[in-house]
Amino acid sequence: MSTADIMTRVPDLLPGTLDLLILRTLRSDALHGWAIAERVQAISEDVLQINQGSLYPALHRLEHQGWLDAEWRVSELGRRAKYYRLTAAGRRQLAFETREWERMSQAIGRVMKLA
Amino acid sequence: MTLRDVRLRLRALLTPRRAERDLHDELAFHVDRETKKLIDEGMAAAEARSRAQARFGSVPLAADRCRDQRGTAAVDNTIRDVSYALRAFGRAPLSALTVVVTIAIGLGAVAVLFTFLNTFLFRVDRVPDIDAMYGVERPRADDDRALLTQPQFDALRRETRIFTDAYAVGPHLDLRVDGEMMTGTFVSANFFQVLGVSSVLGRAFTPADEERPGGFPAIVLSDKGWRRRFNRDPAVLGRRVLVAGVPLEIAGIMPAGFRGLDVSGPDFWAPLSLLPQLQADQARGAGDLTVEVVGRLRPGVSVESAGAQLSAWTSTQPGRPPDRTADRLMLVPRRGTLPHPMEAIAIFTPLFLAFGLILLIGCANVANLLLARGVARQREIGIRLSLGASRRRIVRQLMTESLLLALAAAAGGYVVSRVALEESVYWAVRTMPVDLGDINLNVPAADWRVALFLVATAIAATAFFALMPALQATRIDPVRTLRGELVRDARPRRARNTLIGVQVFASALLLICAVIFLRSAIASSRFDPGLRTSDTVVIQMINEPKRAAMLQAIGRDAAIASYAAVRPDLIGQPFVGVADTGAGKTRVSYKFVSGQYFDVLDIPIVRGRTFAASEDEHHPVVIVSESVARALWPNRNAIGETFRIEPDVEPGKPPAEDAMLVSRLVTVIGIARDVRGFRYSDVKDAGIFVPTSPSVPRTSVVARVNGSTDLARQTLLDHLTRVDPNMGLIIMMRTVARLETFFLQIAFWGSLILAGLALLLTGSGLYGVLSYLVEQRTREIGVRMALGASTRRLTLLVLSQTSRPVTWGLVAGAGLAAALATALLATPFGVFIAEIVHVTDPIAYAVSLLVVVGTCLLAAWIPVRRAARVDPMRALRTD
Repeated sequence: MSTADIMTRVPDLLPGTLDLLILRTLRSDALHGWAIAERVQAISEDVLQINQGSLYPALHRLEHQGWLDAEWRVSELGRRAKYYRLTAAGRRQLAFETREWERMSQAIGRVMKLA
Repeated sequence: MTLRDVRLRLRALLTPRRAERDLHDELAFHVDRETKKLIDEGMAAAEARSRAQARFGSVPLAADRCRDQRGTAAVDNTIRDVSYALRAFGRAPLSALTVVVTIAIGLGAVAVLFTFLNTFLFRVDRVPDIDAMYGVERPRADDDRALLTQPQFDALRRETRIFTDAYAVGPHLDLRVDGEMMTGTFVSANFFQVLGVSSVLGRAFTPADEERPGGFPAIVLSDKGWRRRFNRDPAVLGRRVLVAGVPLEIAGIMPAGFRGLDVSGPDFWAPLSLLPQLQADQARGAGDLTVEVVGRLRPGVSVESAGAQLSAWTSTQPGRPPDRTADRLMLVPRRGTLPHPMEAIAIFTPLFLAFGLILLIGCANVANLLLARGVARQREIGIRLSLGASRRRIVRQLMTESLLLALAAAAGGYVVSRVALEESVYWAVRTMPVDLGDINLNVPAADWRVALFLVATAIAATAFFALMPALQATRIDPVRTLRGELVRDARPRRARNTLIGVQVFASALLLICAVIFLRSAIASSRFDPGLRTSDTVVIQMINEPKRAAMLQAIGRDAAIASYAAVRPDLIGQPFVGVADTGAGKTRVSYKFVSGQYFDVLDIPIVRGRTFAASEDEHHPVVIVSESVARALWPNRNAIGETFRIEPDVEPGKPPAEDAMLVSRLVTVIGIARDVRGFRYSDVKDAGIFVPTSPSVPRTSVVARVNGSTDLARQTLLDHLTRVDPNMGLIIMMRTVARLETFFLQIAFWGSLILAGLALLLTGSGLYGVLSYLVEQRTREIGVRMALGASTRRLTLLVLSQTSRPVTWGLVAGAGLAAALATALLATPFGVFIAEIVHVTDPIAYAVSLLVVVGTCLLAAWIPVRRAARVDPMRALRTD
């Protein structure tokens, strides 16, 4: 199985949802990139798989935007790994994006039911 | 941008290695962690690792996208691109060098021309804030800019508030400074102050000097005059020189590059107040002298309101000469550039095209080289693409390479253009006929515009010719490339053939021009003007009050063997008159000569006799040329015939300056051999000669000298300038004869150098292409040899690769040359040009085409021999 095959089977995330998923995953703990992807996949029962080629660029972007803070810690492998955690600005952004998401999904849900 | 963002960017910039290591560790950790998870699930270690890598995708691509997030990507990508490019050049230094040198030569040629154009079209001067300089002119395009009298100029300065200050420029005069002709410009004493330029040595005039009694008896030298006449000797400062016989001090020297607001500056500037003294014989009242007024516009005054003020002021002027200021005056910007730039561009365009052809050929070579190398780089680019580099990154990389090559080529082009300029100007000055008076050439300075031109042209050239082949290389299939299948059939054969065709075309065109000029120059040097030129000189008599004294000195001088009077002199056109023989009127050319004229110039009198010394302009006798005799009295002996000669006066027009000819009946006393005259200088000798004598005003002296003509000229100058310090030129007829070929020689050398460069580049280009083709087809050649192909067949095979584009190039080159020649002959100058340059000379075409074909064969020789020496066994084994 080639790389290309795997990538095409992953359902496309709605635009902007990758940021939301990352922020939500980091709400309580500081995690490294692999753990973020793993947790999203586990909680969504393998429905959502984050394309790892876009995970790290997104993490770096959020870090530059000041929503994430990063520090190097020793990981479960006994090696240093880069752990991300939410900043205060990140929490505000998460709250904002959560509201937006709920508004959007309610709207879509209504359309699906009634239209 | 948040503070954190700035901190992160700074960290990435300042400690790039640490940022890179962190990025690498972070991504590597992900793969390792994934591998461990798969192993924990029971997968074998090796499989787990490859699965983890597959799931992640391209690590470099993800790393690249992470770098993009930090915003310093541009900077560190550039650093990496540059270092990568330098390494690439290091691997193939010869091809990088070839690209740079080839483009530098072409660029240098074009830059030479641009430097000249730059000096004429754009200002290269030291005048500060030159955009505020305006001249007072009439709206009509008119060469005469001297509009105001000196009192009017003073009034303008006093009464208007248009200019912060204005200066006046009087006439530009050729004056003898210690016996040598120099060009002087007469300016008001505030000239240098208004322009805001000060001298480099000594001092320039100031308005205070004008208030001294008798003015300031001094001149200020331009850098040109200082160099040309005094060899940049600083000791000339304070020296007294005789300017037109008046002793003046050299007060100062202006900086190089300062030429006033004229396109070509004078050798020196002199105060306007000295003019009456220096022009004693032509002195007029100060009120009659008109001056050109140029001023610095007062800040805050618009050109329109200044123009309105000027008009208002003009109308209040009492006693202005009605015909002079009848038109409204206006302000015209003065930048010291050519007043009619379009004409200059029209003259420069064909030159630019010729020089541009060299650049074009060079670029074609580069493109060919890179097309060939493009195949070699396909593997490299393919590997990088399959390792996950984005196409954008690779294009950026290739563009960086082009840009680096372009900058190196621009620097090389600058060096080439400076060397070429110095050499060509030095050569032109050295070979120029010395007594042509005052043609001075400066090596024009390069400035930021030249630099900009070089860099822009270099970038354009490399972008077109180096980037295109490179881009083509990115359009490849990574998988096939990795398998080692180079995309050989994508070989851009048509592009290559077009490039060869263009090169041959340009070489042929330039070479045809060169050979045409050469053959015309040879024909011209063999041309016999029909009069003696080896040891004859013309002494111009421009100062009538000194005529008697001059004639006395000439008559006494040991350097002169014999002399005669002539008007107009030998480098002027004869007058036109009408001969009425009773049978009809005929327009004829005529000139005034004294009896010695024919003897001095070795023009045989075929029948009859020349004028006796007693026969002056009042005697009713003439000598006619053979052709006029035949035309007026066919089948008859013209001697003794009588006819009426009168000036050619058109009704309604004022009589021309030849009004000296009084209409009268004359008798033919002699018939002179026809003189063909000079073609380039467009001097035809007259058909009818009317007697005169040296003492008659406005005649010049033509003399045969003893011994060396150069020496005699110098002695004469020494002796005669003592009699009249302001005397005119002494022109050697040999120089006039040389002029016939001088410009053709310059044209020949110019086009020969261009054609030589073109041939050299074309030859090396063809050599490169054929070597590459032979190398590429070694296996095929080996097979053919193994199957028994003869060396001759193989030679033909290699040659046939390029014979078609070469043929096309030759046909197009010769065709365009012929078309241009035909078009040139159809212009109004066609007749004149055809007489001097044989633009449709078939031998020139044939010779040029043969030379081009020869060069191509020579360039093919080594690759052909290499093909013939291919060892079939070895060739079949090569990959």
